[in-house]
Amino acid sequence: MSAIPSTERPANSVDPKLLEILVCPLTKTTLEYDSTRNELISRKAKLAYPIRDGIPIMLPEEARRLD
Amino acid sequence: MSSSQETHFGYRDVPLEEKQGLVDDVFHSVAKRYDLMNDLMSGGLHRPWKNALVTAVNPPKNDHPFALLDLAGGTGDVAFRVAEAGGIGTHVTVCDINAEMLAVGRERAEKRGLDAQVTFEQGNAEELPYADRSFDCVTIAFGIRNVPRIDKALAEAHRVLKFGGRFLCLEFSSVDVPGLDKLYELYSFQVIPRVGERVTGDREAYQYLVESIRKFPKPKAFAAMIERAGFRRVSFTPMTGGVVAMHSGWKL
Repeated sequence: MSAIPSTERPANSVDPKLLEILVCPLTKTTLEYDSTRNELISRKAKLAYPIRDGIPIMLPEEARRLD
Repeated sequence: MSSSQETHFGYRDVPLEEKQGLVDDVFHSVAKRYDLMNDLMSGGLHRPWKNALVTAVNPPKNDHPFALLDLAGGTGDVAFRVAEAGGIGTHVTVCDINAEMLAVGRERAEKRGLDAQVTFEQGNAEELPYADRSFDCVTIAFGIRNVPRIDKALAEAHRVLKFGGRFLCLEFSSVDVPGLDKLYELYSFQVIPRVGERVTGDREAYQYLVESIRKFPKPKAFAAMIERAGFRRVSFTPMTGGVVAMHSGWKL
């Protein structure tokens, strides 16, 4: 067993496979991952979905509005 | 969307847009003891019911890729069963609207070493955050009756399924065995809310759960809704004298 498990990812990262199937629930368009804010961005809906404790919160009412 | 539409919250009629908040409150208060309560309320029967569901899901035992979406399965109960039954190609996505239920599930996934095979996302079954044709199978166990707009959730389940994929739903049904129906009635209304109060401290939550079971459409009517959402070869299997039914439909 190594000291650092190979599966461990830095806190602010997202599984690339996740971005293949996750879409904006409103527009069904693909999302961009913003690693500085740890958010999933829907350009079309102008919303940023937060990721809390590693769980993407894909609810428009919980998302941050983008201007 | 009309704001005057009403729906059921247990035996109460509530505006459609208020139901989700009321359901959220129920699960906030019971999340930590939800699976324990399922054991107590069903006398352990929810296990064989869920095992029947896993058998129907039939995940491949090898490395063949298999993607399951489990809706409203926050605590991970169905997800872990499928992940353990399947091979290394099996991946389960749990989507639940309730953060507390998901927190319980994620903690359990880590403890069981299943966090690579099971992922958790907070989302609404009526507005799924997944691309079209993403999954081989979609399941929902004892969750559909808590969804305010069931027709929307069924349409979304259909959308995210691949062609050849299967939708499977476990839900309380209507008991049609003479004698058993009376006993079930008594047990539901006299015993469950009291046990719920003792274990979770929230009697009203369990009063709601019992009432919501009675308000859910009869199995034939629910099968017709599944068909209207576009599913084919729709069928249902009553279990335990009709206490529960497993509904099935294919995207073909």
